[in-house]
Amino acid sequence: MSDSILIIGGGIAGINAALSAADYGCHVYLLDDTASIGGMMARLDKTFPTNDCSICIQSPLMYKVDNHPNIEILTNCEVRRISQENGNFKVRLVKKARFVDADKCTGCGTCAEACPVSVPDELDGKVGGMRKLIYIPFPQAVPNTSIIDPRCRYGKMREQSACIGGCAVDCNQCRECPIALCVKACKDEGKDAVLLWQSDRPMDIELKSIIVCSGIKSFEPSTGTYGYNVYENVITNLQFERLMNAGGPTGGEIVRPSDKAHPKKIAWIQCVGRGDKELPYCSKVCCMITAKQVIIAKEHDPAVETVVFYNDLKAYGKGFYDFHRKAVASGTRYIKGKPFDIFEHPETKNLTIRFEDLDKGELRQEEVELLVLATGLIPSDRNKRLARVLGIELDEYGFFKEKDPLNAPLETDVDGIYLCGGATGPIDISESVVQASAASMKAVLVRS
Amino acid sequence: MNDDIRVGVFVCDCGTNIARTVNVPELVEYAKGLKNVVFVEEGKWSCSVDYLAKMQESIKEHNLNRVVIASCTSRTHEPLFKKTVKEAGLNPYLLEFVSIREQVSWVHMNDPVKATEKAKDLVKMGVAKAILLEPGEEIRLPVRTDCLIIGGGMAGMTAALNIAAQGFKAIIVEKQPQLGGLLNELYWIAPEEVSADEIAKAKAELIAQNENIKVYTNAEIEDIRGYIGNYKVRVKSNGKSEEFDASTIIVATGMRESEPVGQYGYGDDSRVITQLQLEALLKSNGLEAKKDVVIINCVNSKNEARGCCSIGCLASVKNAIALKAINKDMRMHILYRDLSMVKEEVNYLKDAKNMGIKFIRYTDERKPEVSKENGRLMVKVYDLLLGRELKIPADLIVLTTGFEGDSTVDKLKGQLKVSANPDGFFQEAHVKLGPSDFPSDGIYLCGCARSPKNLKDTSDEATAAAMRASIPMKVGYLEAEGIVSDIDLDACNDCGLCIKNCPYGAIQWVDDRPSVIKALCKGCGLCAADCTKDAITVVHYSDEQILAQVDAALQEKAQEKIIAFCCHWCALGAADMAGVSRLQYPPNVRIIRVMCLARVAAKFVLRAFELGAAGVLVAGCEFPTCHYIVGNYKAERRVERIIRKRLAQKGYDPDKLCTAWLSAADGPKFAATIRSMVEKLNLG
Repeated sequence: MSDSILIIGGGIAGINAALSAADYGCHVYLLDDTASIGGMMARLDKTFPTNDCSICIQSPLMYKVDNHPNIEILTNCEVRRISQENGNFKVRLVKKARFVDADKCTGCGTCAEACPVSVPDELDGKVGGMRKLIYIPFPQAVPNTSIIDPRCRYGKMREQSACIGGCAVDCNQCRECPIALCVKACKDEGKDAVLLWQSDRPMDIELKSIIVCSGIKSFEPSTGTYGYNVYENVITNLQFERLMNAGGPTGGEIVRPSDKAHPKKIAWIQCVGRGDKELPYCSKVCCMITAKQVIIAKEHDPAVETVVFYNDLKAYGKGFYDFHRKAVASGTRYIKGKPFDIFEHPETKNLTIRFEDLDKGELRQEEVELLVLATGLIPSDRNKRLARVLGIELDEYGFFKEKDPLNAPLETDVDGIYLCGGATGPIDISESVVQASAASMKAVLVRS
Repeated sequence: MNDDIRVGVFVCDCGTNIARTVNVPELVEYAKGLKNVVFVEEGKWSCSVDYLAKMQESIKEHNLNRVVIASCTSRTHEPLFKKTVKEAGLNPYLLEFVSIREQVSWVHMNDPVKATEKAKDLVKMGVAKAILLEPGEEIRLPVRTDCLIIGGGMAGMTAALNIAAQGFKAIIVEKQPQLGGLLNELYWIAPEEVSADEIAKAKAELIAQNENIKVYTNAEIEDIRGYIGNYKVRVKSNGKSEEFDASTIIVATGMRESEPVGQYGYGDDSRVITQLQLEALLKSNGLEAKKDVVIINCVNSKNEARGCCSIGCLASVKNAIALKAINKDMRMHILYRDLSMVKEEVNYLKDAKNMGIKFIRYTDERKPEVSKENGRLMVKVYDLLLGRELKIPADLIVLTTGFEGDSTVDKLKGQLKVSANPDGFFQEAHVKLGPSDFPSDGIYLCGCARSPKNLKDTSDEATAAAMRASIPMKVGYLEAEGIVSDIDLDACNDCGLCIKNCPYGAIQWVDDRPSVIKALCKGCGLCAADCTKDAITVVHYSDEQILAQVDAALQEKAQEKIIAFCCHWCALGAADMAGVSRLQYPPNVRIIRVMCLARVAAKFVLRAFELGAAGVLVAGCEFPTCHYIVGNYKAERRVERIIRKRLAQKGYDPDKLCTAWLSAADGPKFAATIRSMVEKLNLG
């Protein structure tokens, strides 16, 4: 009988589940399909309701995972097939090519310095900075290893501007690249870790149980929603979070996209996307995210004016209502009401918000310099494929379905596969951590 | 100085990342001249597998008994080098890490001369500390497999079943005559619409059948002493006292309604009741005759004293639907402030609206009023949408009140030496990342004892707490790193300050003297820095070792230098971030690492000024984050209330002592802090 557990997803839920199960004595594979563990939390600036710095509290856990004798980290890796045999799961994984020898790479970043091509960093959206085609996802990444954007080797990017653009030969045909600047830079450092010809590799493992914590996604409003993607100074709350973050694209400067100026008046609109068509459920964390963001915006610049348009305030957790009161005490105006129209001023790029004030029963308008759309959380793009591969069900919204939330929480229809974190639905960090410990309890207990 | 001490220094080029800026050959020659150094070597990539093997050979060949690594950063690479020296037969606590990439080559790229000078200082400081290093060891405290569970509601029962499933022993102490807790008071569970009695009964049955679970009912905890692996518990059950041992404790004491005495006529009129009283009536079928029911939400909650009760909105909708099921013609109004229904609970709300249940929002400034007209209850509420006051008749008024912790919490928190908030909900170790833990190892928390929550979340938390408690029981011991406090009882005057201050309860009275339970100690050093008798030593961060670093740093050109005491977790993280981001700042600063800023004693700062330092920086975690719960707060107090005063008394300018509170992402702020200090101290 195998004593190994596969944890699918390296966000805060996966990290905690991995540490719990590994501390318990099981062997753990912690899998993530991106280049680093860390997930959504690694992108955040602060966490509610205490305003703890997100990466400060998360990165020690990431290093702990990295150094844990019972944990094997598999980044840039996907689950392909699963079967059951003698009470064990047999799983076929694919380790996608990183184009960098992870054993040799020391994360020094010289390759990225040498790379001539910058592309927008997808982590940041439209407020984003640029990153190179060979890069380390973020400074605290685990593993601290470079990865090459596959676009460097294929398709348009290569033809247009990459340093290997002039080469007609498929990278897989060569065993040594005479032109690529990253290859040369790494060789000059004496390492030779960049391998443009690396290919995907399969890997088979045997397991006693599986924990699915493949995370959650921030909802992207459709173009035109409150001027999103039409007016420059309309951004989402996740993009605003990146602006607040000292490790983000602006080094923690809250500036608006149109002119990179510090906005003096910022508005948040809650429940963006809520409705029967797009988001039929309440994502529950957005009210607290906004409370956090107004408090931090005020900390950055006490003179900034902040306005929040909200519907029902969700302050469901411990200390949350106090946190909301703190947001109000910081001078933020909370207006109960849903805006119905946004206009952009052609010259200033400021935005006029027209809304109905439900407390006063009046139609009013406000002009702001930056508008933040507080969007909800939606199922990860991974869910459909993962559910199919693992043979477990999704609920009507696309989150993984718990077999029986009251009597068998976090369990699925397949004995031995458990759920935690954003895979189960909108959730905050604390609840993710609780569920991770609970799912790992079930995972170590199964068939023991 | 002990001649037997043989220090080896390994200097890394990091390809050209270090060697491009720092003159490594010069640094190597310099290191060779340092006291007790018998071996120095330059390595191109110190962390490569082949070099690590070579390093191990050198340790053996030259009989090295102290190792200094000068390379990248301890925050990422220390575990690797510790493992390497350990495999070479050396105690890993005899390794000292010096950062000459993040702290030197990446941040002083344009000044190779000063960078090399700084690297020399850092290596000298590292060697000075290394000479004084002593072997450390991981400390193990045996933990058996018996878990005390306080509270036998949903949380306690779920935790017990998980503990018992591993063959461990669970001992439930329940104050009521039977298990079930709040479940026994509920009608059914929403939105699943399952009978609460059935759930309670099913769980209790599983427990009764399980021979690994022992249940004490009608019971209270009379006394608990000890620590993880070693609790002595005395319980009084059905009038009889009994004693037993336990290794871990799960607190699952639940919650109770906060009685709304004097509000909306509660207490004066029996027709005004709480939700739990309504649940009891729903069970006993006495509500058929009611025609008009008004439910008022957010009573005793969402105010200055208390937050959102988390479950009241759902409970009000659930019970309104239950009343409709009894009599579908019942007229029902729910007066609410915000409908805090989350996730798919919103659909449940839709069902209620479709049944004709009316929802009227009121604000905190304009609360509903209850009066009597001809013996009939009337509720006045201002309808914001209609813009006028409504008068609603009522046969029954149900108040959705807030909750508070169980009545036993006050006593229990003293017995367990843990804290609770003013509402009687226990305080977890960390609201985000330690929700199931208390600061002291061995005690865990779940369910409504932590905060009000629904049944599913309670069950998740109980399972989580069971996992947390099971880890040390499964492993059989609790292991702590070797960085721990040690009390010299000859010097100690038993003042008890360390016992009072330790955030982990790791120092306890044993035979009327303070004693460090080493496995519980996290090594923050708060106790040592505040000890008035200098009786406490922190292994690996002793006074002598830190002072040796200060002395070494200030041996030459002290007047140009800033000594920076940085905590390992955030301030050093910010310095590393400045390095990774290649933010350039003046090379005057010499960083001395401490695990927590709480370790920085007044004498360290004084020594730096005595030796002529231009300034001192004390940099720790940005509030409220602290890896050691309160270390940064304690350090700030010490700086502001003690150290500055003592500097002034001794004739030093207290303004030359600066503080910085940084997040690990604050590279720019760290660089800016150094720049501004250099400017302020006229070092430019």
